[in-house]
Amino acid sequence: MAAERDQRQAEILDKIYENILDGNNQPIPDLTRQALELGVDPMALLFEAMIPALEEVGRLFEMGEYFVPEMLISARAMQAGMDILRPLLAETGAKPIGTFVMGTVRGDIHDIGKNLCNVMLEGAGFHVIDLGVNVPPEDFVQAIRDHQPDAVGMSAFLTTTMPMIGITIEAIAAAGLRDQVKILVGGAPVNQEYCDVVKADGYAPEATSTVRLTKKLLGLS
Amino acid sequence: MSMTPRERVLAAINHEQPDRVPVFFGVSNATAIKEGPYLALKELLGLPPGMRYLHDWPELGSSLMEEELLLRLHSDARGVFDRHPAAVYERNQKREPHTPFVDSWGSGQVEITPGVWFPGLHPLADATTIEEVDAYPGWPDMSDPTRIAHVKEEAARLAAENQFAIVGTPWLMFPFERAFAMQGMDKFLMNMATDQDFAEHLLRKIAAYCKDLTGRFLEAMGENIDILWIGDDLGTQTSLLISPRMYRRILKPIHADFIAHIKERTSAKVLFHTDGDVLPLIDDFIEIGVDILNPIQTSAGRMSDLENLKARFGKNIVFCGGIDTHRILPNGSPDEVQAEVRRVMQALGPDGGLIIASVHTIMNEVPAENILAMADAVVEYGAYPLKV
Repeated sequence: MAAERDQRQAEILDKIYENILDGNNQPIPDLTRQALELGVDPMALLFEAMIPALEEVGRLFEMGEYFVPEMLISARAMQAGMDILRPLLAETGAKPIGTFVMGTVRGDIHDIGKNLCNVMLEGAGFHVIDLGVNVPPEDFVQAIRDHQPDAVGMSAFLTTTMPMIGITIEAIAAAGLRDQVKILVGGAPVNQEYCDVVKADGYAPEATSTVRLTKKLLGLS
Repeated sequence: MSMTPRERVLAAINHEQPDRVPVFFGVSNATAIKEGPYLALKELLGLPPGMRYLHDWPELGSSLMEEELLLRLHSDARGVFDRHPAAVYERNQKREPHTPFVDSWGSGQVEITPGVWFPGLHPLADATTIEEVDAYPGWPDMSDPTRIAHVKEEAARLAAENQFAIVGTPWLMFPFERAFAMQGMDKFLMNMATDQDFAEHLLRKIAAYCKDLTGRFLEAMGENIDILWIGDDLGTQTSLLISPRMYRRILKPIHADFIAHIKERTSAKVLFHTDGDVLPLIDDFIEIGVDILNPIQTSAGRMSDLENLKARFGKNIVFCGGIDTHRILPNGSPDEVQAEVRRVMQALGPDGGLIIASVHTIMNEVPAENILAMADAVVEYGAYPLKV
């Protein structure tokens, strides 16, 4: 009996993995509930099905097999499972591996890349606080005070709004909070050179590299 | 042998060697200058302040460049644009300040900081069925005569002068981009991945309106047009937005049909604007009849390898653009701008087939001196045969 149950658990984890990889969000809530009913541990669901699926998505993206639409639907499928898992993970007392505050800087409303980063980070075990788009520097400062994050990510999609990254980092420094957090920057016009100029801690050219970079900066990898 | 600006452009777009590399300013939003640097440039040149907006559209924030400026920047072409329908202007002029600008498709721009507007109102955001697309009451009326009432006369005037190449640029004849405006980029991209029939239907619906307006626009232009400006942004900083496979399956037939529709109506060259690293699709563009590729975003991935672009595609497509708006124009010195213009001309310019332009709209942080440096470098170093 136990062996049969183990096999059914393994099968359902495979299905969740495959459906996230293929970007099918519709079956995910039911599959997630079924897995839980079969006694799959929420942590196992996350670490043995969902995260590996998203890591594979990231790998396929970096290989040039997946593009933005495939990433978006996979992220959406992952979210459909996370919506069910999130409260359960909180109940189990599983500690997030870190807290991440994320936002698109003031003057900019682009959020696709930022949202993908959020899913990747959450999938990797971070507690993500998304401040949304068009976030003024003072809101980043307040969020650091309120949530004491380990890392802060900011993105800008336009050359015109990119300087706001520097201004936001200055505001964080002026509030005396700069040394408490690692700051990651990204977005179309941003590059390593700009990252160095504004004294950010890291530049992530793609959503997929954000997790790796964050873990490295926080000494988690 | 000195050529008129129009002769210069015609030679370049026919892959012949002109007297010097042509340069475009102000023939489209992508080659325009935003209000801030435009006014700064006028001040630098000792010209009186004041400006009109491109498409008479303050929310776009780009200048309709005056003849004096176009001459000073050596622009070899003049643009002819369409307008929003009169009723759209009227409705927007009467709206509460700082509320969204809603265009004739029902999509709109919101003001995210004072004076800065971005697409943020998507009337078909929640549509997932073909029926919802067809039932949408807000599809535009392309027969509204106020869109193009001025076009015929303007084109005829430019043709009578016979000095400058004439570029026809109706606003955003970009089916994919328009689908983003109607649905939001993330929603439409997800629909493309999950429901091809729906995505294709929406794109075909949009393309039918683009074809309708473009047909009317071309009819008004008559023979007085050298280049028609269309496009669709398909690239990102490092790659494509969608896979080459998805492009070929869904979007390429729509672009091909649109370009065929254009070529049935005009002998003007088709310029296709597409941002980012689009290297894997350039052969597709050539196949479906694109004559001129814009903007050659040198900061994006494989588009930085200009020698490769010239060697692989230079015989079959004309390059228009190449002057980086991410780093060089905003952050470079005038000397660095000049060096970049020379570099791009040397790589892409041999034997013609190159028009210099900024990669995107010259944004507010670009110093006026750099705009002059860009324009003057073309005249100073762009004479054929190009010096290495």
